[in-house]
Amino acid sequence: MMNKTFMSFIVFVAGLLVFHNVVFPIFTPKEPGWILNRYVYYLAICAFLIIANIALRLKPPISLNALVVWMMGWYFYKYILYPPIPWTLFITYMMLWSIGTFLYISQDAETFREFRKPIVKTIVGDYKIARIVVFIALPCLVGWGTYQAIFPTFQEPVELRTVHPAPPATTKVHGKSYTLETARNPFRIDEQDNYKDSFPFLDVDKHEYMKNVTEGGTVFFENCHFCHGDQLNGLGMFSHVFNPTPANFIDPGTIAMLRESFLFWRVSKGGPGLPNESTPWSSAMPPWEEHLTTEEMWKVILFEYWYTGWHPRTFDTEESYVGQWEKEGKPAGAH
Amino acid sequence: MAFCLLASPVAAAEQPADPVKKDLLEKGKKVYFKRCVWCHGVEGGGDGPSADRLATRPRNFIQGTFKIRQTDSGELPLEEDLIRTVKNGLPGSAMPPWGEFLSEGEIVAVVNFVKTLIQDRSFDDEDDTVNVQDFGSNPWGTKEPYHLGIPQEAIDQGKEVFIKNKCFECHGGEGRGDGNPTMKDDWGFPIVAADWQQCWNFRGSRRHHFDPFNVVRTISTGLNGTPMPNFKDQITIEDRWKLAAFVNSLCPRKKIDKLTNKPVPDFLISSKYTEGKVVPKIDDPSWHIPDDDPKIKPWDEEFKDNPKKHYIAMAGQITRGKRNFDPQTDNLWVSSRWSAEDNAVYYLLEYHLRFMSTDPEYPDAVAMQWPAKLQDLFGAEKPYFIMGDSKKPVDIWKANLLVQDYNATNAPNDKGYALKGSVEEIVGHGFDALEKKEGGQVEIVDSIFKQGRVKVMLKRSLATEGEMDVQIPTESFIPVSFLQWSGRDKEKDEHMAISTWYYTILEPPLPKSLYYMPPIMAVVFIGLQGWLVWMTKRTRKMYDEGKVIRDIIPK
Repeated sequence: MMNKTFMSFIVFVAGLLVFHNVVFPIFTPKEPGWILNRYVYYLAICAFLIIANIALRLKPPISLNALVVWMMGWYFYKYILYPPIPWTLFITYMMLWSIGTFLYISQDAETFREFRKPIVKTIVGDYKIARIVVFIALPCLVGWGTYQAIFPTFQEPVELRTVHPAPPATTKVHGKSYTLETARNPFRIDEQDNYKDSFPFLDVDKHEYMKNVTEGGTVFFENCHFCHGDQLNGLGMFSHVFNPTPANFIDPGTIAMLRESFLFWRVSKGGPGLPNESTPWSSAMPPWEEHLTTEEMWKVILFEYWYTGWHPRTFDTEESYVGQWEKEGKPAGAH
Repeated sequence: MAFCLLASPVAAAEQPADPVKKDLLEKGKKVYFKRCVWCHGVEGGGDGPSADRLATRPRNFIQGTFKIRQTDSGELPLEEDLIRTVKNGLPGSAMPPWGEFLSEGEIVAVVNFVKTLIQDRSFDDEDDTVNVQDFGSNPWGTKEPYHLGIPQEAIDQGKEVFIKNKCFECHGGEGRGDGNPTMKDDWGFPIVAADWQQCWNFRGSRRHHFDPFNVVRTISTGLNGTPMPNFKDQITIEDRWKLAAFVNSLCPRKKIDKLTNKPVPDFLISSKYTEGKVVPKIDDPSWHIPDDDPKIKPWDEEFKDNPKKHYIAMAGQITRGKRNFDPQTDNLWVSSRWSAEDNAVYYLLEYHLRFMSTDPEYPDAVAMQWPAKLQDLFGAEKPYFIMGDSKKPVDIWKANLLVQDYNATNAPNDKGYALKGSVEEIVGHGFDALEKKEGGQVEIVDSIFKQGRVKVMLKRSLATEGEMDVQIPTESFIPVSFLQWSGRDKEKDEHMAISTWYYTILEPPLPKSLYYMPPIMAVVFIGLQGWLVWMTKRTRKMYDEGKVIRDIIPK
């Protein structure tokens, strides 16, 4: 009996070690598929434990079963569930899991008694070695825990900030007032997708649009790439220095969901122009109106959309800018 | 390199250069003109719009000289070398890792397009042969990520190779690149030697910063286009690995952020509580702090209780006024102690600087910046991180440093150079509203410039009288940031290097209860265990004597 229990325990520990260190990496490739993913792996290890115990006719006692069930829950929340959950949630889940495990062992008087049996035997000394080990280990653990609790440790304070604050109704740049609701990029004179495969520099004489993109790109690579990066992914040479980190324009959560007028406001006013909830004191974004002309700022914005392939968010339902201009005439500044 | 007589033990196989894959050129051109032209220029002359503002200039392809190769010095690279460079980028320069952005096919195509931009020679020229070098393999079998465990003996032998081959003439006595201020690259632009103590900036080291192989490859092939020659014939392959072991041993082991390829900044600078008085001497054992992260490379027992070095990332100030696109220093290391007896806090600032300024008009300087009115800040509020703002002023402690009896072309000097320091205390209400304080409280207690590293120790009382002085309470988080000026680069006023806001905290002494509470709790728990045994045995006895009936299990 004892031997079989011990065997079952060995199967569990060794199985978990082998699976976690050898099989788990195989099931967590860079691009998980239907078969090769972490949850399938988890089912596989559970299946292994059950099949191994049945095949070897181990019939583990209920206390060991309870331990394995509880440990497998812990393993799932700690290593399998992805993305990782915050520790507060982890604690909550484990509480529920522990209650579930307890319900399983106390489902009737017999299983509960069986579960208690090894514990009682350890306490009264029927299992001599186990008693010595447990009674020495537990006070040491308590002492160590107390030490950890008293030892002063300091974590840097967590600071939350609003990434995309609500823009103001109007903004004044170089003496001219812009209503953000209606402000348009004067250089968006055509559908950008027509120029997906055009060449900056080479096609400037052929297409006015590419001339604007090239000029915008030139401004970007003279000024912006230090932080926003040569790939516009927010990983420029200086990016690791700043906190908050520079925006990543490739990400679908930035310029892809913003309007060009919002960018114009951000570019012209920079960090100092942010409202308080966006920590204006730590944003390294310069107020570019101090360095660039209005036209240069609009051209940079045009370039950023062309380079990333995103389209600025618009609230026009049917008409592109161009269609609108045919009716109303071009705004000043558009060529 | 026709005069190279093969002296190395491994003869390399001669082969023609990889010819241009013509069918990929159209695709490659599209990629080049979208992604690369901005730095490398329309004709590949390294003269795109960004080029003039980059300190490591983008490569000019026209001569066909490339740094990271497996081929002999002066030869064309293999196609796979170029692909690897495009994929991994060049750490420490503006060249990003395109492998995370472009597909394999796009990279191969653009590399073939770049090959056609070379005018002075040709990959299709059958006479332009290349010899692929054999670099041997790591003799110690050390492992990623930190390559610890190279025997000290190999490192010491490597140091002898370093001295014998005069590597210090360019790289300096301790490898911080402080040997030669007058070097030029093949195009006549000023260039400096690599700083071996910041190996994450080695070109061609991405994801494997601490791998001695990077060094072996560079010594064996040289860096074409730069003053770095190859030492293939002067140094045997065994000695090259030893030299690499020495160079590699100088690089502090720090956790490297995979995204940015730089060490992870330590956003919390803890100031260590010191019994009695703090010794205000940089050389004192109490200030001897290894550069390594102790979690990665454990410190010797004797330094175990010394404060940690905190890594502060620095960048050029490009927000306002005269902008600084090529800061000479991209990090500082800060350690701190405080003492209740002294009622003072000490900050030791260190940074690498290859050459110092001897012009009193442009002194070197480093500064700590604090919120001047800490008590008025609400929540996470802080003053604007460069020079403060009109509502929230900053208190700046600026140490101006003028190096004594020094010339940038001097041979390495073990003793270092004394610095003549003076502190300016400045109140900042914004870039154009800086006022100097009358009578300062901050002192420079010790400083030195040694082998390309500046060290300055500042001291200030925890509480002072000045209305605009930051008051430093214990056990609370105080925002602090750093500014640095390289005089030799004519940095002055707002033309400087900056950091973002960090926090510092004066740690309390360890509580006495740490020593008596754990045993007390353990003893209490032992008592509890005894009680549990007694209770369980009593219950059993009751069952056995029939005083209590067990719960009956239905059959």
